[in-house]
Amino acid sequence: MPESKKRPHPLHIARVTVQLLLLALFLGLLLWTVRGAAVSAHPWLARLFLVSDPLVLVGAALAGAFATALLAALAVVGLSLLAPRAYCGWICPLGTLQDVADKLLFRRRPAGYGGQVRRRDRSANPAPRLRQVKYGLLVLVLILALFGIGAYGWFDPISIMTRSFGTALVPIAQDAGKTALVAAEKAGTPGAAGAYDWARAHRLISDDANFKEGGRWAATRWGWTFVALLLAVLLVQAYQKRFWCRNLCPLGALLGLVGSASPLRPRVSSACVRCNKCREQCKMGAFEPGAEGTAYRSIVQECILCYACERSMCPVGAIHIGVGRPAPVRPAAGACPSRRAFLGSAAVGAVLGPALLLDRRSREKEESNPMLRPPGALKPDGDFQAACVRCGACMRVCPTNALHPSGIENGIAGLWTPTFVFNIGYCDYTCNAQAGKTGEDRPATPGQSPAATPRRSPANLCATVCPTGAIAPLARSEKNEWQIGTAVFDRNRCLPWARGEECLVCEEQCPVTPRAISHRTAEVANNAWLKMPDDRRNRYEQLEAKREEDLSAIARRATAESLTPAEEAELDAMPPKMRSLALPYVLRDWCIGCGVCENVCPVDGRSGIRVERLQVGAAPSGGGGKGKGPGPRARRGRGSRGGQP
Amino acid sequence: MTWHLTRRTFLRGAGAAACGAAASLGNESRAEEPQAERMRARPHPQAEAWKNRIGLAEKPADPGAGVQTAIEKLCGPDGVRTFVREGDLVVIKPNMSWAQPPEMGANVHPDIVARVVTLCREAGARQVKVFDNTVNPASQCYEFSGIEAAVRRAGAEVVVCASHRFRTVRFDDHGARSLKEWPIYEDALAADVFINIAVAKVHNLAHVTLCMKNLMGTQGGNRGKMHQGIHQNLADLNVIVRPTFNILDATRVMISNGPSGGRAEYVVKGGRILCGTSAVTVDAWAADPANLPWPKGHHDLAAVECIALGAAAGLGVADPSRIEVAA
Repeated sequence: MPESKKRPHPLHIARVTVQLLLLALFLGLLLWTVRGAAVSAHPWLARLFLVSDPLVLVGAALAGAFATALLAALAVVGLSLLAPRAYCGWICPLGTLQDVADKLLFRRRPAGYGGQVRRRDRSANPAPRLRQVKYGLLVLVLILALFGIGAYGWFDPISIMTRSFGTALVPIAQDAGKTALVAAEKAGTPGAAGAYDWARAHRLISDDANFKEGGRWAATRWGWTFVALLLAVLLVQAYQKRFWCRNLCPLGALLGLVGSASPLRPRVSSACVRCNKCREQCKMGAFEPGAEGTAYRSIVQECILCYACERSMCPVGAIHIGVGRPAPVRPAAGACPSRRAFLGSAAVGAVLGPALLLDRRSREKEESNPMLRPPGALKPDGDFQAACVRCGACMRVCPTNALHPSGIENGIAGLWTPTFVFNIGYCDYTCNAQAGKTGEDRPATPGQSPAATPRRSPANLCATVCPTGAIAPLARSEKNEWQIGTAVFDRNRCLPWARGEECLVCEEQCPVTPRAISHRTAEVANNAWLKMPDDRRNRYEQLEAKREEDLSAIARRATAESLTPAEEAELDAMPPKMRSLALPYVLRDWCIGCGVCENVCPVDGRSGIRVERLQVGAAPSGGGGKGKGPGPRARRGRGSRGGQP
Repeated sequence: MTWHLTRRTFLRGAGAAACGAAASLGNESRAEEPQAERMRARPHPQAEAWKNRIGLAEKPADPGAGVQTAIEKLCGPDGVRTFVREGDLVVIKPNMSWAQPPEMGANVHPDIVARVVTLCREAGARQVKVFDNTVNPASQCYEFSGIEAAVRRAGAEVVVCASHRFRTVRFDDHGARSLKEWPIYEDALAADVFINIAVAKVHNLAHVTLCMKNLMGTQGGNRGKMHQGIHQNLADLNVIVRPTFNILDATRVMISNGPSGGRAEYVVKGGRILCGTSAVTVDAWAADPANLPWPKGHHDLAAVECIALGAAAGLGVADPSRIEVAA
């Protein structure tokens, strides 16, 4: 009987349509995210997929970082009670992407094509025990969440998609498009310049004229890793279809367990001839042989309700997906983890959790750890790490591309949490400032806060997209006083300090008013004098000593040998030994650590001023309570400081 | 099992390789092809004759009318028609580098730029473009300064700089002493008439920022490197980038926390709009503490070395007493 000649189930067609639409929506929202102001007007839209993710809800709740927005995930939980893992089959963009990749890369070849003969469909499940791993992973990340470690975010499929597309693939695609447009424009292609301007105006490609670095939006250091991990998920399907969903996905495990008692499931009637076709072809391997001589049965925790089996797989039409008596809840042996495996994972988590916390504590002491978090990030850092999903949404939306995934400098558990890389971007003082509100965007008097509620249109765009509120929304006045870190001069690199050259670019561009970088003029060695050969320098010293002796003699009303007019001219022709130079200083309690100074420092390579971890002084302005900013900085009197040289 | 290189396999491989190549190339800058880029803008017909002259509008009723008055004081009733011809491409570089509203005094007043656009259009300009390579993010600067909206209404095109549209210009004029070359924005180079509109502010390093320093907005690259020996570098820049016409908005003067400002209280009324064919001459008059409300003891004219250096390069007059003010 020829298979696949029957028309697919209408719900099969509906499922594929919904999948593709939702994948397009997911990617569209990521593209749209860079249009900052529009995002902040509809923040729920930007967070749509992440807040409706039950693993994020459970993980954040266990980690003590529950946020009301996450209740949206209850809709998915409800869906799963009725239709277990329909989320995986119909909604999850990573699932859809796997199906698309499978269709494009691994579609079954006609027999004999290319000399290949199909021996076994990749849907057949050669390793039934492998699928227990996802339960072990689920238990492990939830136990870790209890310790306040947001490790579930590393494995959550929505987080994986947001991270790899938002901080790597979409930026790479945008940059490739930009490269192509620039090349076309340079080649004189008509319309190319117009296309570039159009794409830039719609923020499909980035502004780049006034940044030190050209590459925008892509996550530094980790971008390629994210791409590689996503590719691994897609390509491992060469071994088994939906390998990730079957064996590894902790969200899939959670939804399968939630739906264990669901009445809706594939049911195999007694007409089953035990031909094994369903088991071979189901991409989730959700069928298994029944007891000796009885019909096959489905594994409800594995079925993603894709509706491929009912018409296309069974040669005798014995499979029907339908509602009925919730047949045995207990799955067949091997489908779910044994008690021993469960307890083993829990034990691993119980050991790993404290170990990771210890690791984090020791790294907090490390002097090289800058601890630079987005403005509004929960404090202390442990609370932030507990709430952070590591999804990279904040890195995607950051208008200056200043936020990047951290390595293990914040502890192994802090991997991929956001941190600032100020050499690439800076925390924009006017981030998400809206037209027509500019007056209140830069409050003229201390403490004056704009009328707009921060939840609606916060001054930190990163907060609009954060699903768990790990980054709290800030009002303009709060953001502009939020101290991320403290700028520190590296006097071995700063041009005035190290080389005696004038500069003050950092002071010029410090956005804080009055500026948190100031300068004083001082007498310093003159480079031109230092460049003179030794004999000239000696001559200079000699003439200068003579002049000084003369001057002091005059003061004492004594007489000394004066410089002759020729000597006077000779001395004046030489560059003076000292010159006055403006030396910059950071005013620690005014500095908000936004990193503009580090970004614009003209020193090649490492900047001469760098933002380091927040330097808290003994002054009452320091400190900072949990979840709140460090409080208003001690504001200074108005008017000019008159420090201009 | 034998392996065939099929068309599909080949295309797949080639496609992947192309994507990879495109991605890894990114937008890395490639070496500019060596070409002698020069500014095309015509000098003002009276540039030499008016080197020591400026036009001045005192206490104008509104900034738009004021700039027209200043231009007519200098150029006579023909105004901008003395330097804009039928069919010209006019490019205007106002200071709109800061994401701040007009009352902060960090950017040129939008009415001034809009009026200049209107006058150029009336004089028959084919196209008027307005751009600045901003300090803060460009879209915010353009929007918050009010200049984008105002000049669009007046019929100008607003250009946001893109890094690949800067052209390396060799500073081979004998007057340029420290800079060798610098990327300059293509629109500044391609203009028939290039108009420089600055706003009067104090500056933490250069003491004041006026017309000469405003031209830094035509530069790309790492502009932080202009600040080491800034006065000579500014004089060099002015040797190479020579506007047809310069306007200084001193209707208000930023007297503290310059050039970024950030508070209305840092700004005082100046009540003057200046113009001239030489940026150096305009700056010399404006930087003189006697002429604008600079804070007492803030600087003396000699401290603004770029003016004297510019005058030494033959760009204008550094001595205010030699400047003829058409008011």
